[in-house]
Amino acid sequence: MSGRKGVDEELEVVTVCGVGMGTSLIMRMTAEEVLKELGLRAHVQAMDVSSARGMHADMVIGQAMHTEEFQGRFPAVVTVENFIDKAEMRDKILAGLEAAGWQAA
Amino acid sequence: MAGSVGTRPAVAARAQLEVADWVAAVDAATQLLVEAGAATPQYAMRCVQNLREHGPYVVIAPGLALAHSRPEDGALALALSAVTLATPVAFGHPTNDPVAVVLAFASPDRNAHIGLIAALARRLAVGLGDQLRTATSDDDAVALLQEVIDDVGSPVR
Repeated sequence: MSGRKGVDEELEVVTVCGVGMGTSLIMRMTAEEVLKELGLRAHVQAMDVSSARGMHADMVIGQAMHTEEFQGRFPAVVTVENFIDKAEMRDKILAGLEAAGWQAA
Repeated sequence: MAGSVGTRPAVAARAQLEVADWVAAVDAATQLLVEAGAATPQYAMRCVQNLREHGPYVVIAPGLALAHSRPEDGALALALSAVTLATPVAFGHPTNDPVAVVLAFASPDRNAHIGLIAALARRLAVGLGDQLRTATSDDDAVALLQEVIDDVGSPVR
């Protein structure tokens, strides 16, 4: 059986925004806290959208205006509206994991 | 060098401004960075252009925007600013409009701001946005930003 993402294997996550400096970094901070609380192993990188296009990651997190183009290209596409709300981030990461066929720990 | 390790980031704030629209709101926040010597006027212009080009993604939470651009656009030193709006304005965001608090930052390189943004995220998670929104004087708003700077030294994780 192959390793479970976030448990046996580190989950590769990218957070995206327009510039890759501020908004995506705020998201990275929130996502890291949530993933840690969920007991998942993850490596989270913040970057701009054009950099993310060249990435092979398990999960992309961003606003709808940035995540739409990643539908079908990344296994888990997580669209968030409030980047500082851990409850929203948690719910949407869990839904993304489930949609990708990876159950959260 | 300004913004190097050991230099306390500059902060500046204006409370309860009246602005015509989101461009004026972003300009007001980034102009504080320029006045602090942390950014060039071009940096301020780029912050508005980024929103025009990429959409209102800097509206990071309901009522709250974080304007910024790249180091090479004219960021000179690490600094954080905020303006609060007497009358909130629309940024064209699908869910987080209208915006009442516009934060802005400048970072002289791609890593210098990470501790600052981590501290900002921690403070925003415990109500900094609402505290800024209800600040009635520039000094009160500056004091709230100083609390973010005080928190920069805390462990990231």
